[in-house]
Amino acid sequence: LPAGLAQWFPALEVLDVSGTGLSGLGAELLALPRLHTLLAKNNRLGGPGALPKGLGRAPLGRSLRVLNLSGNRFAEVPPALLELRGLQSLSLGGNRLHGIPPDIQELRSLEFLYLGGNFITSVPPELANLPSLSYLVLCDNKIQSIPPQLAQLHSLRSLSLHNNLLTYLPREILNLVHLEELSLRGNPLVVRFVRDLTYNPPSLQELAGRTIKTRNVPYAPSDLPENLVRYLSLASNCPNPKCGGVYFDSCVRQIKFVDFCGKYRIPLMHYLCSPECSSPCSSASQSSTSQSESDSEDEASVAARRMQKVLLG
Amino acid sequence: FRYTRNLVDSGNGKFNLMILCWGEGHGSSIHDHTDSHCFMKILQGNLKETLFEWPEKKGNGEMTKKSERVLRENQCAYINDSIGLHRVENISHTESAVSLHLYSPPFDSCNTFDQRTGHKHKVKMTFYSQFGERTPCVSTTYCTPH
Repeated sequence: LPAGLAQWFPALEVLDVSGTGLSGLGAELLALPRLHTLLAKNNRLGGPGALPKGLGRAPLGRSLRVLNLSGNRFAEVPPALLELRGLQSLSLGGNRLHGIPPDIQELRSLEFLYLGGNFITSVPPELANLPSLSYLVLCDNKIQSIPPQLAQLHSLRSLSLHNNLLTYLPREILNLVHLEELSLRGNPLVVRFVRDLTYNPPSLQELAGRTIKTRNVPYAPSDLPENLVRYLSLASNCPNPKCGGVYFDSCVRQIKFVDFCGKYRIPLMHYLCSPECSSPCSSASQSSTSQSESDSEDEASVAARRMQKVLLG
Repeated sequence: FRYTRNLVDSGNGKFNLMILCWGEGHGSSIHDHTDSHCFMKILQGNLKETLFEWPEKKGNGEMTKKSERVLRENQCAYINDSIGLHRVENISHTESAVSLHLYSPPFDSCNTFDQRTGHKHKVKMTFYSQFGERTPCVSTTYCTPH
């Protein structure tokens, strides 16, 4: 792009350079103080220099609200992008991403995130720290599981998960009361009750972590190595209302089917902190296949009916 | 957040003519056409149509795919219940798509099918807009295809 761009068009608000073969968006864009929408689809962006250096501190970094980089060659989310604190809409559909960086949580203003059509295999729990996220597209990837922390995305209205490698969903998905749309087709969702798999006894680290959490042992980030601070922040609460315990990695997994709209059965994975706990939804036995499949009027189903438009197809 | 159905003409009650707008990644459920003729023309972008056999009466297995094709701009397609069921999707992650649909006689409900089990479920179909005016949403619990 011409070097004098920002001088000649200081009032530029929308710029579409899609389909122009660009392999880099250069420094000439940095001084555009009013540019809120930048569309650069179907180019050759993805290598070093795809985004200009100093983006976060430049006028462009503050003004940008919508960025569309779909149909390019990004193999990872460029770190410069994560400095765009005002960004509301980001599309990286149809690139070559293998993962989502935990620092995605830096995009505090993000409402719309399109990551469909990549090679993503897992979703970091930090994605749940985006307070305004309402539209999340993860379709056509290689995702095997969704972290239960995503249930903290209270603003989420639309979640697209079709054509992935999901066999079940975390039970917490039902907590997304504002979720209006959920697409799940093209996933190898289990259709029959899956008996509980092996239970690995908790490690010493897990037991220490549980004690710290349940006894409210005070600690500060300066007391512990960074990896342990992060570990402690990932504690999940046991859904058994009589337990009140927490667990980290070691838990009992139990698949429960929940009816959506009275017609579709979604397998939800319940995590419990020990084999002695039971899911809040189950009655006595977890052993009978027909009993689990016939459970319909329980707290999980009531929550499921709150979800309005479910696109399962 | 999902594809929109926009009614353009209701043809004196004899047909419904509507424009569907599909964002990136948007797709429909597998559905039937309530004994009506259905014509579809691609006005912009591309749409993938996957045809399915009707599930067996007591079907309890994965539905059978008959064929699939990608319809390009200006291409037309036709379907009715005797031909089978279909799913229509915009599989592009970079381009939106627009299609023109003609249904005769008009219908406002159809069945959607779960691909994994063949179970069907009747749904009411709604419009995002009619004759250029936004149709306010009705908040109900239901699943919609088209």
